[in-house]
Amino acid sequence: MAVKFFGQYLVENNLVSRDALLKAIELQEQKNLKLGEMAVSTGYVTQADIERAHNAQMSKDMRLGDLLVEMGILTLSQLEEIVIRQKNTHLYIGEALVSIGALNSEQLRMHLDAFKQDQAQYVSERIELPAGIPDGLVWEMTADLTYKLITRVLGIQFRPGKCQSVATVDSNFMLTAMDLSGDVDARYILSVSEGIQKEIAKAILKENSVDGEPLEVLEDTVMEFINVVCGNVAAKASQMGKIMNINPPVVIHPPASGLQVPSGSAALCFPIHVGEKDKMELILFIKA
Amino acid sequence: MKKVLVVDDSLSVARQLEKIIAESGDFTCVGHAKNGAEAIKMNHTENPEIICMDMNMPGMDGLTALRSLSALDKDVKVVMVTSLGGVGDKFTEALKLGAKNVISKPFEADNVLRILREL
Repeated sequence: MAVKFFGQYLVENNLVSRDALLKAIELQEQKNLKLGEMAVSTGYVTQADIERAHNAQMSKDMRLGDLLVEMGILTLSQLEEIVIRQKNTHLYIGEALVSIGALNSEQLRMHLDAFKQDQAQYVSERIELPAGIPDGLVWEMTADLTYKLITRVLGIQFRPGKCQSVATVDSNFMLTAMDLSGDVDARYILSVSEGIQKEIAKAILKENSVDGEPLEVLEDTVMEFINVVCGNVAAKASQMGKIMNINPPVVIHPPASGLQVPSGSAALCFPIHVGEKDKMELILFIKA
Repeated sequence: MKKVLVVDDSLSVARQLEKIIAESGDFTCVGHAKNGAEAIKMNHTENPEIICMDMNMPGMDGLTALRSLSALDKDVKVVMVTSLGGVGDKFTEALKLGAKNVISKPFEADNVLRILREL
């Protein structure tokens, strides 16, 4: 019921052992050369060039390949050739498991089909964002996965509203935030009314009523929900080649006038229409 | 009955796991630690056979605690229960550090019990 990668799916379902998967990963680590290693193997650069570029990376936020081109060590066409060679020789985890004898080809095909079916529910749908937002595809996926998990985990019926840029976030009964770092620098915020907070608590605690629950527990269920959402977003982001780290969630109590967007950040608001009485929004603060 | 320690900063997740364990008939929950440091202490005092531990916790996180637990106690079996299970690098790191399996959140009771029974 979550975003997974193939190796995890196989171990979680006891289709290959933990030890076999570790052995296959070790084989992948031996066979799948990093960009610098592949560049050296082609003879276009030396190990000393790579070390020089790594040192330069400490003061420049650039990928190794782009930096090697900028430093005049590689031409753009040489870099493209290296990247293509890296892709063409990549050993996938399924192939590695067949190589070590943990699976045969027929089992691999069968398990891959079942895995794709399991993960089909998390295939992202396009969501329109305002122009000029960095890493737009990542934020489209974030909103889409939030909608999917509201349906699957919380069972709440809703209609997504049009995404818009905002300067202030409206106040609400509870705002819960999680900071996202790595290849992105952003804050994920879920804003909920009191009624929605109770619906989330009922779904997370699997209880029919949460009337006697202390506020601490009710707030914790909303924090746990965004932890689940952002963890699954991080998994999807890694499939898109983006490293996304998540931090423990926090509760924000904004003033009645609302929450100001930090300077240097763009703010996107995704209204989640849940009925007349309740209010729910997803807000993303994205650093430029 | 096998003794299980639950490690999660979230009260609601701890409650869910404690309920699943209590209703299983073959496991008993010996406590709830809120971070990795508490988990290491409670592993010493409660001597669980299985630890179900979150990865993303304030203070000492789950992977740091897993590294220590693997070095300190060769018998305890650790299963990570985390929303980050689908991040390949995190999953691989957990297995390399000695986790027996990784359960992704959101989880279902049947899946949790199947994995605990297979340990």
